[in-house]
Amino acid sequence: MKENYLAKWLNNELSEAELEAFKKTAEYADYQRIVATTDTLEAPDFDMDAALQEFKNKQFQKQPKVIAMKPRRKWLQIAAAIAVLMVVSLFYVNSLDTSISTEFAERREVTLPDASEVVLNADSRLSFSEKAWDKERNVTLKGEAFFKVAKGKRFTVATEAGTVSVLGTEFNVENRNDFFEVTCYEGLVSVNFNGKEIQLPAGSSFQVIQGTIQPITDPKTASPSWINHESSFNSIPLAYVLDEFQRQYNVRMEIQNVNTQQLFTGSFSNTNMDLALQSISIPSQIAYKLEGDKVLFYAKETP
Amino acid sequence: MDNVCEEEVFSSIFTNTSKTVYNSIYYKYGNAEKAYDAVQEAFLKLWENCSKVSPEKAKSYVYTVANNLYLNVLKAEKVRLKYADRQQDTSHESPEFLMEEAQYREKYEKALAALPENQRTTFLLNRIDGKKYAEIAEMEGVSVKAIEKRMHLALKSLREKIAGI
Repeated sequence: MKENYLAKWLNNELSEAELEAFKKTAEYADYQRIVATTDTLEAPDFDMDAALQEFKNKQFQKQPKVIAMKPRRKWLQIAAAIAVLMVVSLFYVNSLDTSISTEFAERREVTLPDASEVVLNADSRLSFSEKAWDKERNVTLKGEAFFKVAKGKRFTVATEAGTVSVLGTEFNVENRNDFFEVTCYEGLVSVNFNGKEIQLPAGSSFQVIQGTIQPITDPKTASPSWINHESSFNSIPLAYVLDEFQRQYNVRMEIQNVNTQQLFTGSFSNTNMDLALQSISIPSQIAYKLEGDKVLFYAKETP
Repeated sequence: MDNVCEEEVFSSIFTNTSKTVYNSIYYKYGNAEKAYDAVQEAFLKLWENCSKVSPEKAKSYVYTVANNLYLNVLKAEKVRLKYADRQQDTSHESPEFLMEEAQYREKYEKALAALPENQRTTFLLNRIDGKKYAEIAEMEGVSVKAIEKRMHLALKSLREKIAGI
């Protein structure tokens, strides 16, 4: 017999010969009776019109709602995506360091999260992590700043030249180009320079110019002079003095035939440019010309 | 027209398929009320997803959804089918014949209830609803050959059960 011949038989697909052979089998009568009995069965009652009406009553009135949901869902997805992005970026921004910087001829006072005070001199940049502040008081400095550190855990100032750490004190850090200077005004400061640790008691200074440690010159003031709008120098090459002048007054500077390696001791005002120019040029025996925001320093003709 | 979101299209699909789906679910699980609810639910799902279903697939979709809904919640019950009124055939029936007939029907019902759900549904859809093998195959999402197999096995095991083999 063919595969699934009963199915073929029910579907009238058997050939005449096959049908004859099937009719001769003993089961044929049984199958016939089963099919006959089955064919007297009725499908269950199903009132399609009532069902459709019920469905319509339930669903079609909700149609506008269904359609309205779709664009809103899309809109919600976008809104959700934006919200997630904002939250993520907020976390990201929060985890970034806070940084404060000053331009030429600008000075700023900053209060750190623990009420420590920092005064940033011109053209400087201070950054710190507000989030990690409770764990470690770390700041990164480029330029010059005067610190009044509140008592507490170790306070560390990282610069390219070296790190300065203290527990609570007043000190000034300057790091520009190859000039690095730390002056302690109160308490005790520890300076890490090239792997060496130097303890700096109150009233002492540590200075590195072009990689070499300079003999320590003790400051005579309670705070760096620039806090009082005066820049002071003690045996500092003229080049650094002129750089500082440029920073304090935001002028363009040109130097002609001047030996900038000569040492300068003295100070200049950060508020009166004419006075400052004289303070620098007279002791250094150089001349200057001021044109708008441009200053030319040149060698004085020998009389 | 690639979906069934038009109310008219949807209504015609409802008219053309709801009875077959309802019967199938009933043949399978034997509870008319729950089969009815499952069909209503399934059409609701079709309506919600109308944009994703093409008219050709709608029947199979509704059947599958109704089937899954039923499977998820309910257990199959015994299928009870009424016999069509055949008054006109009774003229020659003797009491013995009637008793034999009643006994036979009892055995038949037991055998039918004992069939695997798939076989019973396929068999009854074909015999009662007059659905073609191809149509059942499409709705169930299987091949025509598989439907033939079910038909064959359904008839074969009905005979074996009734004959007490």
